[in-house]
Amino acid sequence: MAVALCPMDEKAGSELAVVDPTTETLAQKKARFERDAFQYTNQLYAAALRYTKNPHDAQDLVQDTYAKAFTSFHQFAPGTNLKAWLYRILTTTFINSYRKDQRRPQIAAGELEDWQIHDAASHTSDQGRSAEDEVLDRITDIDVKAALAALPDEFRMAVYLADVEGFSYKEIAEIVGVPSGTVMSRLHRGRKLLREALGDYAKDRGFNRGSGGSDE
Amino acid sequence: MPRIVASIEVQGVVMNNHDLACDQVQQTVVLFIDHELPSDDQYQLFEFHFQECEPCLELLNTERAAISFMQNLLRNTCNEVAPEALNARIQATINSLAATSTVEFFSQTTITEFTFDGTTSIEITQEFTQEIRHEFPYE
Repeated sequence: MAVALCPMDEKAGSELAVVDPTTETLAQKKARFERDAFQYTNQLYAAALRYTKNPHDAQDLVQDTYAKAFTSFHQFAPGTNLKAWLYRILTTTFINSYRKDQRRPQIAAGELEDWQIHDAASHTSDQGRSAEDEVLDRITDIDVKAALAALPDEFRMAVYLADVEGFSYKEIAEIVGVPSGTVMSRLHRGRKLLREALGDYAKDRGFNRGSGGSDE
Repeated sequence: MPRIVASIEVQGVVMNNHDLACDQVQQTVVLFIDHELPSDDQYQLFEFHFQECEPCLELLNTERAAISFMQNLLRNTCNEVAPEALNARIQATINSLAATSTVEFFSQTTITEFTFDGTTSIEITQEFTQEIRHEFPYE
């Protein structure tokens, strides 16, 4: 299938020179692609690791993403958000080709009806910030990655795209291919689940190791 | 989208109804933190409310701190570097795709036509897509 036909708006990369893709030669296009797109390999690889959960598939996914991006590069509007465009190809490719159990929805169909942002707020409002801070100080990078990996795919993507990459709800909606309201629902529930999971890790470490703080 | 009732856009009405405003603020404080409120007016209303309402300000600070903490944690963790082998594979893939393509393929974009309202002509686009598939097995 064709991917990323619609150009992303906002956050136009200032580094992108204005070019006319219709008159560009192949060599010029290849050079422009390498100059503008190759700078995102680290970020896309880190995202692919979150998506696929293993380095082998993550590398294949990033390679596929760049191949598709290059063959579709004439459809990318210069001056628009190239990073978001690459993320859209990465995400679409993952969903269509890499995700296990592709026919089975990862989360309940009722996610839209019952979402409440208040859920996320109420979780922290009833406990002190310093207490949460203290327990979260005990968790390690491995805990964070494990907690992220344990989230349903849709929640993990939303949290990653918003809280690591800093994309807006609207950008995430375009990247993932769902309405903004769905992004909002997934993000808030994902954050809540992640917070709870990390709280559990922190408590376990607290019991196992006393109050010695973080190690590893 | 968030259910912010219309009355919140009328400052006098909402700010006179303290309970209603607190309820709305508590349910949408995350949108304020994420800079996702639908209009500038609503940011002003929220800020005004936080000046007047200690519990909501406390909720804002707590929630914002929790979100920032998680963001920092995630950003410090999810910062893997692409292996050199991957970068080499990507470069080789692009070289290969460029070598098996033709210059004519890229000039095909000139035949794409637009109607008066900017909509791409469907027939020409399909023809164009077939051309892409022919040139690029990856697609």
